Amino acid sequence: MADKVDNEVAFILHTRPWRESSLIVEAFTRHRGRISLVARGARRPMSSLKSRLLAFQPLLLSWFGKGAVRTLHDSEWQGGRLWLKGEALMCGFYLNELLLKLLPAEDPHEVLFDHYAGALETLGAGSEPEPVLRRFELALLSELGYAHTLDRTEQGQPVDPGERYGFVPDRGVVSPGHGSTVLGKTLLDMMAGDFDDPCTLVECKQLMRGLINHYLQDRPLLTRQLLIELQGIEPMNL
Amino acid sequence: MTPSALANLIDALRVLPGVGPKSAARMAYHLLQRDRSGAARLAQAMGMALEKLRPCERCNSYSETPVCDLCASPKRDPRLLCVVEMPVDMNRMEETHAYPGLYFVLMGRLSPLDGLGPREIGLERLLKRARDGVTEEIILATNFTVEGEATAHYIGERLKAQGLKVSRIARGLPAGGELEHVDAMTVAQAYMDRRPA
Ligand SMILES: [Zn+2]
Repeated sequence: MADKVDNEVAFILHTRPWRESSLIVEAFTRHRGRISLVARGARRPMSSLKSRLLAFQPLLLSWFGKGAVRTLHDSEWQGGRLWLKGEALMCGFYLNELLLKLLPAEDPHEVLFDHYAGALETLGAGSEPEPVLRRFELALLSELGYAHTLDRTEQGQPVDPGERYGFVPDRGVVSPGHGSTVLGKTLLDMMAGDFDDPCTLVECKQLMRGLINHYLQDRPLLTRQLLIELQGIEPMNL
Repeated sequence: MTPSALANLIDALRVLPGVGPKSAARMAYHLLQRDRSGAARLAQAMGMALEKLRPCERCNSYSETPVCDLCASPKRDPRLLCVVEMPVDMNRMEETHAYPGLYFVLMGRLSPLDGLGPREIGLERLLKRARDGVTEEIILATNFTVEGEATAHYIGERLKAQGLKVSRIARGLPAGGELEHVDAMTVAQAYMDRRPA
């Protein structure tokens, strides 16, 4: 049975040239998860489709066909004020890279979709990017089934905010000396989504970086590398 | 069996963007059967271009001389430097006859998800070029794609840190455009980039 979908709520994650005049579009849709679409002829000078395939914009996509040969035939902008600029724009690329590399295709993740839309909106409004990125990373890992218990140790002991712990991917909070070291308060703040404490942000970034690298199986994150090259230093947020 | 010279040609034609094995074979047979003089001209032009064209020391676009004619022209205003992604963008700007200054061609854009970084766009060369002591204003004319915007942002930050005046070309309604007939995103951009009247 041929698949025909009209006006699916979506964001473009990435586009790349395909054949002479077309584009492969990687989209994150609300009801069908991450999918690939072909925008035929979108690179022809007279095509207006390409300019409507901007990343970070809420779109309504329509396509037909199934599997690897889905053809995108329309994209309608939903309006709004999501314009990422400067640093926020680079953070947006980072979120997209995480989704492209960690989210399996063809798997609906509505909760994560809403998190993503919310994160873009917050970034677009000029909020401090770091807490936004950390919350999104936590939501992503939890949606992928990699959630870790943060308020109890592997042995089931409640986490004490004043104690130091070890943290190991897939095991969680362990006794110090294993994996990365983290303060109990950081773990409890992360669980509460409270990133007001600068120490929490610093430790959480280290912890999340370790976790994400683990699930990426050490495939490099290009956005992070680019920021290192541009700034000549460790990127502030990623 | 395909003779190796023919196989080589087909393989070589596949370096062109968007050309797969089938189109490459079609092109090869066309050149050999129907247009041998055209093929010879192509081979010669390719050899000449590779031998003669080098990046211009000033604008980074292709030139047969170390500094291209445009960069060497005394008629251009050396205080203005316009940054574009590709030579075709520079040609477009030139067609307007509205811009009197000089150019720097990045030969690409930053594209974080494709691994295209500052090295690929010659960022250090641009920063050096802009420090010539004559340049006063840099006009960022990269595309209004997300990659073009990211490129403009990072170039702009680095140039501002060098104490230069940096501007970005405007976006919004096309010349002669009527709100009624322009797509919503363009109208929204025009509103967001509005200026005091
Ligand atoms: Zn030149």
